[in-house]
Amino acid sequence: MSENTFPHHHADVTHEGHVAMDSRAIDASVRLPIIVLFGNAVHWLVVAAAISFILSIKLIAPEFLGGISFLTYGRLAPMARDLMIYGWASQAALAGGIWLMARLCGRPLGTIMGGVLHSTLLVCAAVLWNVAVLLGTLAIFAGYSTGVEWLEYPNWASAMLFLSFLLIGIWAVLLFDRRTTGRAEVAQWYLVAAFCWFPWVYGTANLLLTWKPVQASAQGPIQSWYCGSILSLWLLPVALAAIYSLLPRLLGCHLNRRNLATLGFWLLLLLGGWNGMDRLIGGPVPAWMTSAGVVAGVLFMIPVAIVMINILGMPRNAESLASQAIPSKFLIMGVYSLLGVGLLGALASLPDISASVRFTGVTEGKTQLWILGAISLPLFGVLYEAIPQLLGRDCWNAALSARHYILTVVGIWMLVSIMVLGGLFTGLALSDPTVSFLNITSYAYPFHLMECAAQLLLLVAALILGGNITRALASDYLFNKNTGK
Amino acid sequence: MNHDHQNNKFEGGGEGTETNRPLSPWLVGSFMLALCWGGFYLAFNSGGFRQDVYETNVVNWAGGGAQAAAPVDPKVIGKRLYTQNCVVCHQSTGLGVAGQFPPLVGSEWVNSDSKHGDNHLVMLMLNGLQGSMQVLGGSYNNAMPQWKQLTDDQIAAILTYIRSDWGNKGDAIDPAFVATIRKEQAAQNEAWTQAQLMAMAPVKQPAAASAATATK
Amino acid sequence: MHRLPTLLSGIFMVFLTSWLGLVAYPTLQLGRLSPVADPETGGTLPSVYGGQAVAGQRIYATEGCISCHSQQVRQLSVTNTDIERGWGTRPSVARDYLRDSTAFLGSRRLGQDLSNVGVRLPDAKWHYVHLYHPSAVCRGSLMPSFRDLFIVRKIQGQRSDEALDLKGADAPKAGYEVVPTAEAKNLVAYLLSLRHEYPLPEAPVKKAGAAQAK
Repeated sequence: MSENTFPHHHADVTHEGHVAMDSRAIDASVRLPIIVLFGNAVHWLVVAAAISFILSIKLIAPEFLGGISFLTYGRLAPMARDLMIYGWASQAALAGGIWLMARLCGRPLGTIMGGVLHSTLLVCAAVLWNVAVLLGTLAIFAGYSTGVEWLEYPNWASAMLFLSFLLIGIWAVLLFDRRTTGRAEVAQWYLVAAFCWFPWVYGTANLLLTWKPVQASAQGPIQSWYCGSILSLWLLPVALAAIYSLLPRLLGCHLNRRNLATLGFWLLLLLGGWNGMDRLIGGPVPAWMTSAGVVAGVLFMIPVAIVMINILGMPRNAESLASQAIPSKFLIMGVYSLLGVGLLGALASLPDISASVRFTGVTEGKTQLWILGAISLPLFGVLYEAIPQLLGRDCWNAALSARHYILTVVGIWMLVSIMVLGGLFTGLALSDPTVSFLNITSYAYPFHLMECAAQLLLLVAALILGGNITRALASDYLFNKNTGK
Repeated sequence: MNHDHQNNKFEGGGEGTETNRPLSPWLVGSFMLALCWGGFYLAFNSGGFRQDVYETNVVNWAGGGAQAAAPVDPKVIGKRLYTQNCVVCHQSTGLGVAGQFPPLVGSEWVNSDSKHGDNHLVMLMLNGLQGSMQVLGGSYNNAMPQWKQLTDDQIAAILTYIRSDWGNKGDAIDPAFVATIRKEQAAQNEAWTQAQLMAMAPVKQPAAASAATATK
Repeated sequence: MHRLPTLLSGIFMVFLTSWLGLVAYPTLQLGRLSPVADPETGGTLPSVYGGQAVAGQRIYATEGCISCHSQQVRQLSVTNTDIERGWGTRPSVARDYLRDSTAFLGSRRLGQDLSNVGVRLPDAKWHYVHLYHPSAVCRGSLMPSFRDLFIVRKIQGQRSDEALDLKGADAPKAGYEVVPTAEAKNLVAYLLSLRHEYPLPEAPVKKAGAAQAK
């Protein structure tokens, strides 16, 4: 392992006059809430993967589980999507984001605001989040969905989610304000931005689409803006923060293009919301919105290229190149997934291509690559890095971790490739008006069959992670119990 | 090899951990180029940023009413409908089946001549035909079903298509003409016979009305 | 960008651009569109939904129909395939969704586009049978059966007018009939009201046969 070249923080006074604490104290101050968040996030990931697998079976055997009214495709699909976004990804982002921010700012939570029951408050907020996700999912199951894509939770559930986020997110911003370290890192900008944007985005979208809906003629752009923003401006920045902060340290190198990273940050801010308009190219919106979607989709390659150049262009030594640690492998795969997302997005935004591929498996595959690849893979990296440090010991089963990694990466790339290829095929057939719709459905059958296999891989991967983390946390709990800590 | 977590000091302290390298001019240049492309694209594909312009291929900076987009080619719609409804008998080549289903290629019924008018063709589509029929010197004795359940637009599209493919060179059929014939022959419930049709004088459809048959 | 206020104001200003363009502008402009007068009937375009159709929208939302069906005919400058397939006579515009409580624009077409299904399939009975067992009507369809929207009950006296004409394995036992529940009727009423074939100032209807013969 390469020698650590970073300044060590011991209990001495820095130039700002605050007492900088060491990492253990920081970890101790956030241990319980983050473990609660990560543990529940993985639990929802398993449920979401199981539901996604059932959905993929329904595309090849529509009458699978057909007798039960609340297990139709239309009820399960929003459940799976919302569980992936709010149950797994957002929670892992909350957990990872708080941990990264606390470590990067060099302060335990208890030293802010006079140590007001921070841990208890965070745990309560985490529980509230999970209650909201659980009840919201059950509400969709029982037939109370709002019908707005990605915002299907009933109003009371989304309000609970919003409140819970505020209670957690405020700490990240406060930590940044009261940090003991000097110059802000790239990762910290992304974290501040992410924690500020989510309430604004989530609150606005819910207010205008579900709480007090505006006239439906205006809802299309707002809903598309929400979809783009939730991915590009809440989840992706946390993933990028993980990539920019953890990857250099794990590989024993440092970012050497901070100015480029600055450009990338502001461009992501600018383009992120507009990027969602690729869902409405050619839709019932004024022409300039369609064109804005096209331009944003193509220009999104710039922030993506910047991340690629920054990360892959870091000067590395021989040891770091040989790094086989699971967290860094996940983070690097996340970077490559982001490249895939950028390329797919740029191509699918061009009007001539969008004409054929919109509404097909290409857009679905792009969304899956976004959520499962560009966002989840870096979050897995943070998970694997954070839990041992929070528990204070090496707790992962190496074999399970390696299997999780392989199955996840293979599963994601298999799923996305099949969806994109199938979507291209379907899209070209849809563009020929003489081909009947039912024929197209039957042509898509082999692709749906292979998607089933890919979803099974992802389900097994999620179960492996679930087993691994349960083992890690349970043995920690038993260990602490036995030693009376 | 397991990563030794105990000794990994992931900490803050940005001093000296992130440095600046001069940006490559090629990189900056290509980014600027991309942004310029974006600007030009937006300028020329936004319909003047008007709220009532939905088509991106209209550059409308001068104001004024919304421009109508190019009309959809009826032959494409007609071909689809023909494929769905007519190929069973008349085949995708338009040649029909010898002795059973009459051909459409070069047919005097389709292309209209001195004895066969546009009205005969439309009436044939609306109510169908039974009994024996002469087409291009051949005799056919079969039953063509009625198609009055299709709309005027759809019938006009199919007829326009069959008049324009396989070497046929007939005029497009106007949906308004179909509507007129439908109204005139509303009392007819059964399929026509050839004799009944030929007893009616051949009528050419009125000169095509201007393209703006729709409201503004 | 090391002080929180500076960073926050920067974030706020830049993020404001997409918020202004995609949230404020639609709310203030597209959200304030009103229907236009219909010269033929004296009513409005788009016309008002009946009570059943309004209730049917709720069913459409809760059953998740948007997961597979879209409700938008795309602009001609992007593609004319939607119109050539017969899914509409003109592209959809924002004003078409005035009557809806939620714009079910959709993002996936595992099933057909439904924005003009009321024009294309105007028969309520067809819809009932299709909802009861889609793959019996459309062989190979991926749509699930919505049997819970129907009741199988003993025929009281005479067979009800509303009873579905089911064949083969779907047909109920002798002496029984399948009738739609109020929810099924509302949903079908909503589907039948989905029609965007009327002209609007920003979306004139081009009749197919009116083009010049080439």
